[in-house]
Amino acid sequence: MNRDLRFTALKKTPFHSRTSLASRTNKYYNWNGFTVPTEYSTTELEYTAARNGTSVMDLTPMCKYMINGSDANRFVDYLVTRDLSQMEDNTVAYIIWCNEDGKVMDDGTIFKFSNTKFMLCCAVKIYNWLHDSAEGFDVSCEDATDTTAALAIQGPTSCSTLKNYGADDLELLKPFAMKQYNINGYDVLISRTGFTGDLGYELWTNPANAENMWDSIMEAGKELKIRPFGMYALEMTRIEAGFIQTNTDFMAAEDSLRPVRMRSPYEIGMGWLVHLNKESYFVGKRALKKEKETGNSERCLVGLDIDGDKPAVGSVIYNEKKEDIGIVTAAMWSPTMKRNVALASLKRPYGIKIKENIFAEIYHPEELEYKKIWAKCKVVKRQFFSPERRNKVPADLYE
Amino acid sequence: MSDNYDVIVIGAGHNGLVCANILAKKNRKVLICEARENCGGLLEESITNFVPQIPLSVSSSLGGLQVKYKAKSSIALSESGQHIRLVGNQHIDHKVISGFSSKDADRYVEFHDKMSSFSKALGSFMMASPPRIMNNTFSDYFKLFKLGMNVRMLGKKKFNEFARMIGLNIADELEDNFENTLLQGLIAHDAVLGSNLGPRSPGSLINLLFRMATHDNSIFGGIYEIDGGSKAFVDTLLDISNKNKVEIKTSSSVKRCITENDKAIGVELLNGEKIYAKKIISNADPRSTYFSLLGTENLDTDVKRRIKHHRSKGKVAKLSLSLNKQPEFINCDKDDLESRMVIAPSIDYIEEAFNPSKFDKLSMEPILEMKFKNSDKSNPALDIQVQYASYGTQEGWDNIKDNYVDAVIKLIEKYAPDIQSCIETKAIVTPDDIEKNFHVTGGHWHHGEIQIDQLFMLRPIPGASQYRTHLDGLYMCGAGTHPGGGLTGIPGRNAAQAILEDA
Repeated sequence: MNRDLRFTALKKTPFHSRTSLASRTNKYYNWNGFTVPTEYSTTELEYTAARNGTSVMDLTPMCKYMINGSDANRFVDYLVTRDLSQMEDNTVAYIIWCNEDGKVMDDGTIFKFSNTKFMLCCAVKIYNWLHDSAEGFDVSCEDATDTTAALAIQGPTSCSTLKNYGADDLELLKPFAMKQYNINGYDVLISRTGFTGDLGYELWTNPANAENMWDSIMEAGKELKIRPFGMYALEMTRIEAGFIQTNTDFMAAEDSLRPVRMRSPYEIGMGWLVHLNKESYFVGKRALKKEKETGNSERCLVGLDIDGDKPAVGSVIYNEKKEDIGIVTAAMWSPTMKRNVALASLKRPYGIKIKENIFAEIYHPEELEYKKIWAKCKVVKRQFFSPERRNKVPADLYE
Repeated sequence: MSDNYDVIVIGAGHNGLVCANILAKKNRKVLICEARENCGGLLEESITNFVPQIPLSVSSSLGGLQVKYKAKSSIALSESGQHIRLVGNQHIDHKVISGFSSKDADRYVEFHDKMSSFSKALGSFMMASPPRIMNNTFSDYFKLFKLGMNVRMLGKKKFNEFARMIGLNIADELEDNFENTLLQGLIAHDAVLGSNLGPRSPGSLINLLFRMATHDNSIFGGIYEIDGGSKAFVDTLLDISNKNKVEIKTSSSVKRCITENDKAIGVELLNGEKIYAKKIISNADPRSTYFSLLGTENLDTDVKRRIKHHRSKGKVAKLSLSLNKQPEFINCDKDDLESRMVIAPSIDYIEEAFNPSKFDKLSMEPILEMKFKNSDKSNPALDIQVQYASYGTQEGWDNIKDNYVDAVIKLIEKYAPDIQSCIETKAIVTPDDIEKNFHVTGGHWHHGEIQIDQLFMLRPIPGASQYRTHLDGLYMCGAGTHPGGGLTGIPGRNAAQAILEDA
């Protein structure tokens, strides 16, 4: 075999012809084997569009799996910790799933079309996991990542933009609901979901429709402050929303080399997604039940409100005796909230019982010198930004 | 819902019976559900010709076992008639082998001493429940430490030798020591017997050590036949069961384990009947226990993977020939016909027989271990264990069975030219038949390969190595658990202990 053939270039998404045209910086990164922009112009500008207008992001690299079969309903209920037995058709649910030790493998969203058809979206590739978990269930799991083009349309004017695009009555779609449209001759699935903590939608369609969809939406949002936005801006919005990211805020169980680095749902603030009273068994239930009963969760993931305006990126967190009690996993100065916020993984009881008198040691770079800041922190709700418009039905419309 | 029983044992194989009786002696109310009409499991058809003796520790916990054993010598048949006869007594064996090669005879004593000391070091470990490192308890670490110490106490030189040999193949070790191919073949045969390994497969040596640990720590000693056949053994166990008031329900297939709050609380029979108990013990193989009794929907993905990858393809078929007269084996006297007769004339021969089985095919020149029954009476019979008769062979057993039986008989013809004319009926039980008739996945003697990744605390799978399954209240006592098959009753005894510990 020709040795050069072992190396394959990163794949381009069906939107690449458009995203590359929109990119002024030529900054790309590798997301799940695809090349996608980190920023198009400036991150600040893109962030502002997401909070004040409409932002568009190419979501295609997200892992997407179709789960079909007569046992599909039972299977997804077995796969994830959340009780999905009462989930309605055409709705979406936020989910996590664990391994046998009750350690979180990833989080994601599950789309229910019917009892026999689901779509799972997540960050980490899990085809093998799905396949092996399906043993004994009448389901087939298919990787639809390459065959589904996806766009996130987020921001206060996103509903209006999509209505202009052709999504009639979209303002009536409830959060975590989805609806099938036919626009410009193509099937487009629109779900009211997103990663920005604001009003927003995600669109799922055939790759053949990608360019048409991009162009039409850009046209539809021309007067509504539409702008493509990249990974950096998304990172800002998701921290403000308090959403966690796998392998950033916690290590995916299958990716961590050290067992002590794996986290249970209780240790990353996802205990509310674990339904131990679910009648049927789910992967990790025995271990999670034990953890819940013995209460031996070691860590927690909390929001921090930090004094000052210097982001505490990568900071170590200390108690008043200057003992190391945790680490910041994501941090930023929030332009919208005008607050210095962070997500931090702390050793219990810090973050749960002890919420005061903790400090972040911030190293702030200033022209080749570091300023060391000892900043007081307060443990707060992780959801820093959650405007009323996010869940409003009918959604706000603008002209 | 009341617990009708303290314990339900699923399967009346010998381990199930041993386990049930030990528990009954401790005043537990025990019920055994057996799918077949008769008890005894694989014993019923005498799937194995020769057995080790039940260890004293097991028979004493049953309050003594009235079973008589007949020690058997081994004879490695040679086409030329230059057979080797070994009795398991070093002094005598040395003399026999020196008739072929004085160098081999001396080496044999050395080799035997070395192997024997290793198998003794494994001995105590073989008998007890294996440690569970995940538990992080002192006693578990101590157990492992003790095994390490047992081996280390042999001295630095032997310790190093043990470390060298643990992953070795038996062929290399034999060729390093011996020049007589027939002797090599006989020892190699015992090393690979019942396994999915050839003499040149890595790990085949530890198989021999494992065998020796239950066979009186001897290479050719510790091979027995049960007086009265395996039926006598089953009857003895049933007598004891009767005395201990163990209830046995035959023709009662268990469909699944009934669970409540993720705990086993009973069994549902195929006919729909539900029986409840505090503890359930499965004598079935690990795959059936996990996938059928426990159910895939109650298992973590990782556990499913381990069970799915659990290797349990049987390789041994049992051919029974009923004869109208005693055939003449070349250069064999009456005593020879009383012994364990092995056709595995060289390492290469065994390896050739093994090769097709790697591809799920059959060799028409397999290795054989034979036993005469009623050789002094008018209705003699010959029981033959045929290895590598692969489970799920590509040719399809239904298509090839007759040809295969003919090939085996033709092979015996080389050693007993008149065998054809003596045969009245022939019946073969293939691994596929064992699976079907005895509900043993893969038709494997040991309910799963005896290989390094499926031994000790890894047997049958990590996380279930101490006779406890992943489901609270469901236990395993079959050959799939440590230390594996062979008529030892150790898994049954250890499982009973695990249950008593938990109670």
